[in-house]
Order: sequence, then structure tokens, then C-alpha cells
Amino acid sequence: MLKVEGIETWYGAIQALKGISLDVKQGEIVALLGANGAGKSTTIMTVTGMIKPAKGRIEFLGQDITGMEAEDIAEIGIACVPEGRRIFPGLTVIDNLMLGATPRKRVSKEEIQKDLDRVFVIFPQLEEFKGRLGWQLSGGQLQMLAIGRGLMANSKILLLDEPSLGLAPVVVQEVFRVIKEINKAGTTILLVEQNARMALLIANRGFVLETGRVMLADTATNLLANEEMKAHYLGAHAHVKEARQRRRSERGRV
Amino acid sequence: MNTRIKSLLVPAVLVVVVLLLPRLITSSYWLNLINLAISFSVACLGLNIVLGYAGQLSLAQAAFWGVGAYTSAILTTQLGLPVWTGMFAAFFVAALCGVLLGIPTLKLSGHYLAMATIGFGIILQLILVNEIWLTNGSDGITKIPSPWIGSFELKDPATFFYVAAVSLILLTWGAIRLKNSRVGRAFMAIRENEMAAGATGVDTTYYKIIAFALSAGYAGVGGWLFAHGGSHYISPDTFSFEQSVILLVMTVLGGNGSAIGSIVGGTLLTLLPEVLRFLKDSYMMVYAAGIVLIMIFMPRGIAGLVGNLPASLRFRTWWNADSTAARQVAAASSQENSGGSRKTYRPEDCAGAGEVLLTVKGLAKHFGGLKAVDGVDMQVRRGEIQALIGPNGSGKTTILNMLSGLYIPTAGEISLGGAAIAGKKPHAITSLGMARTFQNIRLFGELTVLENVLIGRHCHSRAGLFASILRLPSQKAEEAGIRAKALEMLEFVGLKGKEFAQANSLPYGQQRLLELARALASDPQLLLLDEPAAGLNAAETDALVGLLFQICTRGVTILLVEHDMNLVMNVSDHITVLNFGRKIAEGSAEEIEKNQEVIDAYLGTEVGNA
Amino acid sequence: MDLSTNLQMLAAGLAMGSIYALVALGFVLIFNAVNVVNFAQGEFAMVPAFVAVWLMSYLHLSFAVTCVITVVFMGIFGIVFERIAYYPLRHRSFLPVIISTIGVGIFLKNGAQIIFGAEPLSMPRPTPVTALNIFGVFVDPQYIVIILCTLALLGFQYFFFEKTMLGKKMLATAQDKQMARLLGIRVATMIAITFVYSSILGAAAGILVGPIFFVTKDMGAMIGVKAFCSSIVGGFGSVPGAILGGVILGVIEVFAAYYISSAYRDAFAFIILILVLLLRPQGIFGEKIAEKA
Repeated sequence: MLKVEGIETWYGAIQALKGISLDVKQGEIVALLGANGAGKSTTIMTVTGMIKPAKGRIEFLGQDITGMEAEDIAEIGIACVPEGRRIFPGLTVIDNLMLGATPRKRVSKEEIQKDLDRVFVIFPQLEEFKGRLGWQLSGGQLQMLAIGRGLMANSKILLLDEPSLGLAPVVVQEVFRVIKEINKAGTTILLVEQNARMALLIANRGFVLETGRVMLADTATNLLANEEMKAHYLGAHAHVKEARQRRRSERGRV
Repeated sequence: MNTRIKSLLVPAVLVVVVLLLPRLITSSYWLNLINLAISFSVACLGLNIVLGYAGQLSLAQAAFWGVGAYTSAILTTQLGLPVWTGMFAAFFVAALCGVLLGIPTLKLSGHYLAMATIGFGIILQLILVNEIWLTNGSDGITKIPSPWIGSFELKDPATFFYVAAVSLILLTWGAIRLKNSRVGRAFMAIRENEMAAGATGVDTTYYKIIAFALSAGYAGVGGWLFAHGGSHYISPDTFSFEQSVILLVMTVLGGNGSAIGSIVGGTLLTLLPEVLRFLKDSYMMVYAAGIVLIMIFMPRGIAGLVGNLPASLRFRTWWNADSTAARQVAAASSQENSGGSRKTYRPEDCAGAGEVLLTVKGLAKHFGGLKAVDGVDMQVRRGEIQALIGPNGSGKTTILNMLSGLYIPTAGEISLGGAAIAGKKPHAITSLGMARTFQNIRLFGELTVLENVLIGRHCHSRAGLFASILRLPSQKAEEAGIRAKALEMLEFVGLKGKEFAQANSLPYGQQRLLELARALASDPQLLLLDEPAAGLNAAETDALVGLLFQICTRGVTILLVEHDMNLVMNVSDHITVLNFGRKIAEGSAEEIEKNQEVIDAYLGTEVGNA
Repeated sequence: MDLSTNLQMLAAGLAMGSIYALVALGFVLIFNAVNVVNFAQGEFAMVPAFVAVWLMSYLHLSFAVTCVITVVFMGIFGIVFERIAYYPLRHRSFLPVIISTIGVGIFLKNGAQIIFGAEPLSMPRPTPVTALNIFGVFVDPQYIVIILCTLALLGFQYFFFEKTMLGKKMLATAQDKQMARLLGIRVATMIAITFVYSSILGAAAGILVGPIFFVTKDMGAMIGVKAFCSSIVGGFGSVPGAILGGVILGVIEVFAAYYISSAYRDAFAFIILILVLLLRPQGIFGEKIAEKA
């Protein structure tokens, strides 16, 4: 469905992406992983058209969308739930959700109402709070609303950027459950996460980024078992651990 | 070419120019215009200090110019005081007005500040118009006397030019000297990042008021030049908001932050109307259109344009090559790496778990109904590395902000080494021995790497305005000491050789190191680090760990807030865990790893810590 | 100290306050949308005043036709202003933008002088000159018209922003431009509409206030600066704040000029501003914005 080939993107003088290639097939959940600053969010921003790549090609459903404007990309079926939720703080829950349907042209009010009802089924809390303003919601509620708003676009693919950021673990588990559910109902998902383990538990495949390049690309199961993954993203740094043990033993002597 | 010749070159050229100019330009008309340009330039020099150096936008400069003019005019015409006394009075009264403006506007910046200064300027102008008993109102003050030197009256433009030129030279010299001093650096720190400036030890309140006072004083002298030269007549119309705008445009056109630029801008925009006189009524429209175009295409003004030419970079390097500063830096750079390599350290120096350094009791911070921190007790012991962890929103950064003085606690006590610090200003806390870094790096971006660290020494140095401008021997010695310490810190974090790079140009990892060097330069007892590993890759994180141990070896205690659990578990002697503004656990890494409440609230069962 | 004089002054204050409110509203909308403080906002009221005078006094058009033409003219003006003054500087820091908008203001002021001359012009009144007698108080009918028109505009605006999808899109653009783009909202169009609407508010202010004072090139400057003060008093960035601030300022100004000093009439707005900045810098409705460390 989505194919990214050899993307190079610059932030001023700094090259954030040094040749990224990945793909997402219909119906999948693909995880995009890596440490802070590896380029995950930059990749998402490039795909959504907020940043234009210096080199490379992005193809969506056979159409070349490299360099297209963000507003146009939203209209052809790519929806994004960006990092940090970015709910409009001065608008109500309902307004935020309805704005999610902006990219859909020539669609009846009934259709949109149906989708709104669907969102309320997935997130019953949102229906309860539908008159509340954005700034009045808690972190978890904001994330639910952001995903709901993303769903209102009825897009073909949904990009989720760090949905677990800043949420208490128990809320994170709920969020991931919902993501799995949405995917089962037919939405293809590209999921960017720092929380590698949780992401890989629900994904089909994964790409691991480091300093602007794709370091690993494999099925989720393989990645979970991968030694390098375990060392860098799923566990402790070996050398740091040594340093700590040395320090502890020397401290004991003092 | 040695320093001696270089230091005599500029004064020699200036003397020649000043003496020759009235011989070459004999027209009274043009000399008057030049004197006017000098008067404006002096006002622009002042604006450059408050806006270019300290970053505070003031649209009241013409009002201060007017206060200077009127003060001296009133004293000399109504009280018969000598004109030179009028000059000092002009400076001080205007400076006082600057202080009066600075105090209420301390918390403002940007548009709010601009608007407040406009209001202040309009009020001052209204006073000039309406207090007729003092100022003669709209009729203005006539027959303002010329200055006398001995028995010689400096009446005509040519002789007044000498006064104007000498004043301009002295004031410019002062402004340039100021920029490269402790005070100038304090100004620029405020401009670049006021919050970081405070945290680094700069008393932002004091320096902002000084900046306003100095800039108003300069404008006052400019007004004095205007009143006692030229037509010897002043009226309130001249000192309007439009004039303040013109002064602003002159300063920005010349190049914000450049003293010479202010002179260029002032002169250009005084002489230009004469050249464009043929445009008559449309002159202002052309002027206004020009302003917009300059802002679009030349935002850094003429100084910016000229400064980027390769020729001027070469010139600057040649000019600065032999200065004491440059020699000191070169000497430090050529030394072999002293103090051992990165990986070795002497753990016995890192005393660990010594006596209590920081005590926090019942600390709370409420934002309206939100209890960000809800009664926290903590202790940090000398020589240890302690970590403060917890989910987002648990209050970690709020606690750091209260410790460093950015927030005033709603309740509770904080004591550092026995001294109570809750509610104190950030710079005061820094001078008591606590330094910090920020989650979103807050460097003084446009300044050089070295300058950033020099500012770190601010609270351990003392040179004030006079010492800085006059370069007293005590000040020179102090500067050398500050520089030596800064160079030592840069070497310690591994940034040797990059002293003159612009802070903004460093890659992310090195910017973090620079912020660390700046914090260490203030010789803290306790170092607060806010997510120091954020954005670092694996290699950089390892280097950071080594650096943290080295810092500990030097006797500095560390309290860090971090999300990277691997880093935290491996580096910390003691961990405090927060959730929803309260402490839910504390202990060693092993204890925390197994603590069920911590696992439930934060670590989770999926995110493993091997 | 009699009641009827005070009520007369109250009416005048409310009328002037409404003018400040309209211009302040224009400020705040532009600021919320693009984070720019438009120092030429006063000229947004001065220009249409001149246009209206010209249409009525020289082309002898009726008041209604004049209003329509002036509003359309200001709409186009708004778009041109956005392209010339805002667009090239949209990524710059605030200092170049402030200077640039000041420059445009000076350009417009002197342009008006060149086109229309330096003499103050008087705008023909749409309302009769004789004062209305309302409950024993004599009130200039123009004041009533100003207050009613302002209320009507505010009502329309409330409806637009609260009830229409386009209004919501504009609010969304003002609150988070990037996110709006991600949702497919045409942000450039929203910004253009903001400038157009802000200019139309200026047209309303200029046409309404023109008959009371002379139309001069400097009339915009004071109104603009005081409108800015109003928006700070009300809470910068807050729409109801701008309106309330304007009305409060207008009323206080009238009473202070009468009871304290008429020579310093223009100073009161700034004195109030400085007091507000000292005591409650976030204004009436503003949020305390603590900078994140």
C-alpha cells in the first residue's frame, strides 16, 4: 500500500534521514522503531507531506506522492495521529472529531454520523465527555481522542506517532489493545514507537532506525528474538552495566 | 604586526578624521547635518545596548532623547547652569527615566514590552506638551546656549562638531568595551535565553534595569547634543513615537548588536532624506517601503551583510590574533591532554553517600487546581548520583524547577548545604552552589562556545560597569581567570578546539556537552540534570556515563531526572520514584527494580530491565 | 456630577469602547492565527474611513452603497496586506515583523496624505445630528448606531465561530497550524480569510467612527495603539477579552478625561495598561502562561 524508497531529508544543515526505505502492505501493522533522534518522526513527517524530502520517492496505492502538499496527502487517504496528540485545546471533543473528517469530500452527513458513532463505540469515554474542551482532558483521554479523530478520516492507512508517550503503563496497554482492534476492523497501521517491546507484540513487521538509516527490517517475531535488538532496545547496554558494577565494588572498598 | 601598533592605529585614524573633517566640509548646512547625525547615532548606540546586546525592544528611545534635551535646556536656560553640567544632568535624568521604565516592564518581553515602551514614550511626550510651567509646552524652548571651553564659545557647527565627535567616539568606545566584558556577556545571555541566563547565575532583573538605564542615558546625551547644537531650539513634536521608530530603524538597518552599525545606520538615515529631498511628499512613503524591503531582504542590517564577507572575517581574525584572549586560548589548545583520559577515574575521590547536602521537606506546587507536586520529602547526599524517575506528569521537572528557583514552591522547605533556598531567585541559588541543565537544551545560541562557558563563571566574578569599560587591572586579571576556568571545563567535557564555534552550529550531542560545561563552570556543589540522555545515541550515552562518573570524582553531587532506565539503573547510587506528585518509593537500583508499586505505576511488566 | 451628564459620557465611552473593541478584535484574530502583532491595525480603520469619505463626498454615492464598496475594498486590501506584509516574513522572528508592519502603517498614512491632502476631512453622517432623548438623557444617535452595529457584528462572529464548520476550521488553524494541515485544512486559505475579516472589522470601525471625528491620516495611530492596550487588558489572545478590554478602556477614558484631566486623555489608556501589566499581566481572561523549562 505504502512504499518509501531511499528518502533523504534535511533539517537545515543536519541530515535527519540518510536513505530510508520501508513498505507497508494492506491490512498490516508495521512498527517503526528506534531511539530518540533516530529519525522516526521525521519519516512520518515526510510521508505526510509536512517536510519535503531532498531525495527519494514515496508511493501510495501506486500513486507517486513525493513532494505533495500535506493537505492533498490527507485527502488521498493518509491520516496521521502525530506525536504529542495535538488536540485543539480550545475546541470540544465533538469539534475535534468532526474536524478529523475534513479530508473526506463529497460524503453525506449520515456517513459521517455513522463513523462518529463507531468511534464512540470504540471509545465510550469520549461520548461521555463530548462537550468538554480539549485542554480539560487528561493524557489518556487525549490519546483516545487523537486516535478517534484519526479514525474519522476513514483513511486507508493510519500513521500513529508515539501513542504511548507520557502515558502510564496501564493506559498504554489499553491504547495498544485499541490499535489492535482498529487494525482487525480493516485499517492499515504504521506505528512509530520508542516502546519497542509493546509495539512488536502487536505488529506484523518492524523496521528499526538508527541515526537516519534502517538498521534492521524483519517480522515482529524475529525482531523480538534478535540479539542486537535485545541489547540495544529491549535491555541494558552491556558496557554501562560493567561500569556500574565496577563502581559498586570500588565503592564497597571505600 | 604587533599589538602595540594595532592599539595605536585606531585612535590615530580617528584623531586625523576629526581634525580634518571641518576643514574638508565647510558648508554650515552639511556640518549641522553631520552634528544631527551624530546626535541620532548616539541615541542609536543606546538603543543598540538595550535591544542589540540585551534583546529588550524599546520603542521609547526618542522620549529619553527628549528628556535629555529638555533637562539640559531647562537647566541651562532657566537656571543658568553651565552647559557641561547640563550634559551630565541629561545623562542621569534620562537614565533615571530608563530605570522607571525598566522596573514595571521586567516581566515583559516581545510585543508586550514594545507596547509598554510605546505607552511610556507617549506619556513622556504628553508631559512635555502639557507641563507648560516646566517645559514651555508646544512653544518649545528657544535660545539654548552653546557650550563653552574656557573663554571659547563653541557656537558654530564646525566647532560644535569637535564636541559631538569626541562624545561619539567616547560613547562608542564604551559600548564596544562593554560588549566584550562580563556585563556585556550578561546582557547577551539575557537576549539569547533569559531563563538559562538566570539559571546560569545572571541576575536578570538587575542587568535588564542597567540596560534600560544605560541606553536611556546614552539617548539623553544624544538629546543634549541635539539641544545645544544646530538650531538651539527644541519642541515636544520632535520627540514622538514616529521618531522612536526612526531610531529603531536606524539601529536595525545598521545591524542590531553592532555599535559601529548604529553609527552607520544613524548617519545614513539622517543624510538620506537630504539626498531624497526631490521626492518631496512621497519621501516618507519611499522610506516606509524601504523599511519593509530591508526587513525582508536584509534582516541583519548592514553589519550583518558586511560581517559575512570573507574579507571582513579575515580582517577580524588578523585584528584579534594577538589579543590576550586569543593567546590564552591558543596556549590552552596546544597543551597535551592533562588530567587523564576519559575512562579512568579515582573512585576514592568520589566519596559517595556522605553527609546530606540537599534536604527537601514537604515540597508542594499547585497550579490552580492541579497539584503537580503534592508533599515530597527527599534527601541528596554529598558525592552521590541520585536519580528522580517517574511517569510524565509525575512532577519530576516541577521539582527540578523548584530546586533551581524557576518556580516558587506553594509549600515546603528546601535547604542546600544548610542554606534555605526555597523561593529564591535562580541566580541566587546558582551562586549558592546549584547548577542545572535543561531538558530542551538552552544554550546562548548566537554566542560562541567559549562565551557560553564564560557566562557560567558569572556568579564567581565581580567586574561591574566601570571596571568593565575602563578595563582596570583587577578586571583584566579576573577575565584571564574566568577564561582559564572556562577552557578547563571545555577540555573536561571534550570540546577543546571548538572555542570559537557558534553554539548553534554544534551537533546535538556536543550542544549537550556544552550545556554541561557551562553548568560546571559555576563550581556547583550540586548539579541538576534534566534528561541529559534525551536525544543521544548509544555511543553518546556511554560517553555521558563516563563523564558523569568523572564529574562525581571532582566532588560534584548529581541529581538527575531521566527516562532512560538503563542509564538510571546503571549510574545511580540512589533512586527516588515519583507518581502523581508524590514519592512512592526510594532506594537502590536493585530495590527499585523489584518494587511492585513502581512496576505497576511506571516500569510495567512488558518493558523489561535486564 | 449629575446623572444625565454621567450617562451621556457613559454612552460616549461605550461607543468609543466599541470602536476600540472592533479594532482590538482585528488584532487578536490576526495574532491568534499567525502569531504576528500587526502594528498597522489602526490604519485598517483609517484607510476605509478615507475611502468612505471619498465615495460619499466626491462621488456622491449613498451611504448604503458606500458601505458595500468600502467593505469589498477592505476585503481586497486584507489579501494584499497579507501577501506583502505578512507572507514574506512569516518565518522570521518578531522584530522584523514588528518593524515591517510599522513600515506599512507609515506607508499607508503618508499615502493617504498624498492622495487626500493634509487637511482633515469630515465624513457625512448617516444619522441625524440632533441628539436623541432617551429616558431624559441626550445621546448622539451615532453612538447608538456604533453600539448596535458592534453588537450585530459580534453576534455574527459568535455564530460563525461557534456554529459553522468553516469557523471551526479557522479556530483550529489558529490553535495548531501544523495539525490543521495534517487534517487537510487549507491553512493558507484560512490565514487569508483571517486577514480579510480583520480588515472588514477595520472597515466597520472606520465607517462608524468617521462621522464623530475628523478623518485624518493620524486617526488610525491612536486608535490602533489603544486597541492594542485593550487587548492586553482583556487578556492577549482572548476574543472576549479584546471586546471587554476595549469597552472598559473607552469608558474609563471618557470619565478620566472629564474628572481628572482632559489634557492627558490619551495617557489614560497607557496608565491602565501599565497598571494591568504590573498587577495582572495576563489580563482579565488571559491564561498565565508559564514557560516550560
